Amino acid sequence: MKESYVDLINIRRKVFVEIAKMAYEDTDLNELEKAAYNIIPGEVATYRENIFRERAVVEERLRLTMGLNVRSMSEFTRVTEGIDEVNIDESRFIPDLVNVITFACEACPTRAFKVTDNCRKCLAHPCTNVCPVNAVSIGKDRAIIDQDKCIKCGRCRDGCPYNAIVEYNRPCAAVCGVNAIESDYLGRAKINQEKCVSCGRCIIQCPFGAIADKSQIYQLIKALKTKKNMYAMIAPSFIGQFGALTSPEQIVEGIKRLGFKDVVEVSLGADITTLHEAKEFLQKVPSEIPFMGTSCCNSWALMVKTKFPEQYEYISDSASPMVETAKYIKKKDPDAIITFIGPCISKKLEALREDVKDYVHFVITFEELMGMFVAKNIELSEIEISKEVQDASTLGRGYSVAGGVAEAVKKTAQLLDPSREINVESASNLADCVKLMFQAKAGKKNGYLLEGMACPGGCIAGPGTLASTTRVKKAVEEFKNKAPYKTPLDNELIDDELKNK
Amino acid sequence: MKVKICMGSNCTLLGAMNLLDQIESLREIIDENENEYKEEELEIESIKCLGYCKEVDSDIAPVVIVEEDVIFNATGQIVMERIMDKMRKR
Repeated sequence: MKESYVDLINIRRKVFVEIAKMAYEDTDLNELEKAAYNIIPGEVATYRENIFRERAVVEERLRLTMGLNVRSMSEFTRVTEGIDEVNIDESRFIPDLVNVITFACEACPTRAFKVTDNCRKCLAHPCTNVCPVNAVSIGKDRAIIDQDKCIKCGRCRDGCPYNAIVEYNRPCAAVCGVNAIESDYLGRAKINQEKCVSCGRCIIQCPFGAIADKSQIYQLIKALKTKKNMYAMIAPSFIGQFGALTSPEQIVEGIKRLGFKDVVEVSLGADITTLHEAKEFLQKVPSEIPFMGTSCCNSWALMVKTKFPEQYEYISDSASPMVETAKYIKKKDPDAIITFIGPCISKKLEALREDVKDYVHFVITFEELMGMFVAKNIELSEIEISKEVQDASTLGRGYSVAGGVAEAVKKTAQLLDPSREINVESASNLADCVKLMFQAKAGKKNGYLLEGMACPGGCIAGPGTLASTTRVKKAVEEFKNKAPYKTPLDNELIDDELKNK
Repeated sequence: MKVKICMGSNCTLLGAMNLLDQIESLREIIDENENEYKEEELEIESIKCLGYCKEVDSDIAPVVIVEEDVIFNATGQIVMERIMDKMRKR
């Protein structure tokens, strides 16, 4: 989350509340035509040059939140076009997950080095002297970079004593670790879906709010109204997300008040994943595979699959904490309909996988959940509850912070086999993950356990969060220490069979 | 000097925690240049929903109270300016 993008965040969240209210109140979906007027009232534009465009963008957000595609602006299409297909009480995925709202995109120029008016045309002019392709010359007012010649090495910027040369980039492309942002014929951002791993960084980075993902909250609320055996599982980074006065217990109770039968910590699944991965590592590295990658971050796994197909088999076979938690719930109630609530949008894709779709039926983010609380008038900090949340170990609860997964697997593996020395290395943004994989591919990480996470700082920085990473990191640390178990091996909810060597 | 930030659901949805982070960060600025500010301590408190938004139809969240002033639709820049003005020595 980019906390300082206040207006954008508020529009995004007001849309979630609006759709959640429509679902709770069984509003006729034709009213969707009017919904943008509730969010952008009046006749004076606040955010863009005119209110018509503001509302048009909000209408696309309303559609995406319903699970529908962005409309094409070149033909007449109603806001409600295709609404019957998503007016249901189960999740329906219409590709793609991450979408550019084309007419919200300002077609920012692509990456270039530019001379600003800080330039003093100095006598030394290191900018020209260090350029490897002779692209910089001194013009009438300032230095000039010949963009056709420039190879974007940045040496002129580094050499300038006045900080007069800046690197310009479109924020969506700058933050994309897999270079999936291209341009359409009008220069607007276009996502190459073959390359995109749905990490969601571009969604929160775009200063015009021109990129958004699809949501399932409408269908989830409908399911909560008609079905009884609804279960929720909540990702380890949920601590501290829902207001500075709200305790973890109040969050869990609040979720139950939305109509869920029970709520389980995904940290429990993290404990199970840890045991699987620790055993897998001890068994396979280095005899069968040279190194092992963790499996919990879906964007990291997708990146390895698409960019390093030959090394994909070195990613752990263990199911992610989301899936392990769902399997745990299913074992207790085979008819369970399960919702994952987390900071992550990539999980929305993971849940569609052939081997996952029977376990995880809905995926929503913390932000979307907050929209549901507001729509349902639930005041979390006023809930009275004494029952403690006690599903997981200290190590499982640490999964959401970068380094936490590797630490859990390493510690557990060493408890299982104290004779083993285990090297770990972590990367926590997609670009660094790619670099790490290049090194691993070149044989420089043999014998290592590699932890890959797409979000900077781990899941606590996911695109669907509400609180700052520093705030959540602190809260997670406190919650870890309150865990009833130290390691997954102590967790009484896990079968003993899994704990044996 | 006392600042209260509403942590009701609506205010939390619309950025109350970000306001809290921003207001807390003012302490660093004040500590760096102690001489320019009054000795008074900047007390920051998160409070439960005061119910303002349930009384009116219009959107007023987030709500921040700086000493006695109730600020509706609070933004970081407005709240921080108000606090800094009051904290600075004249």
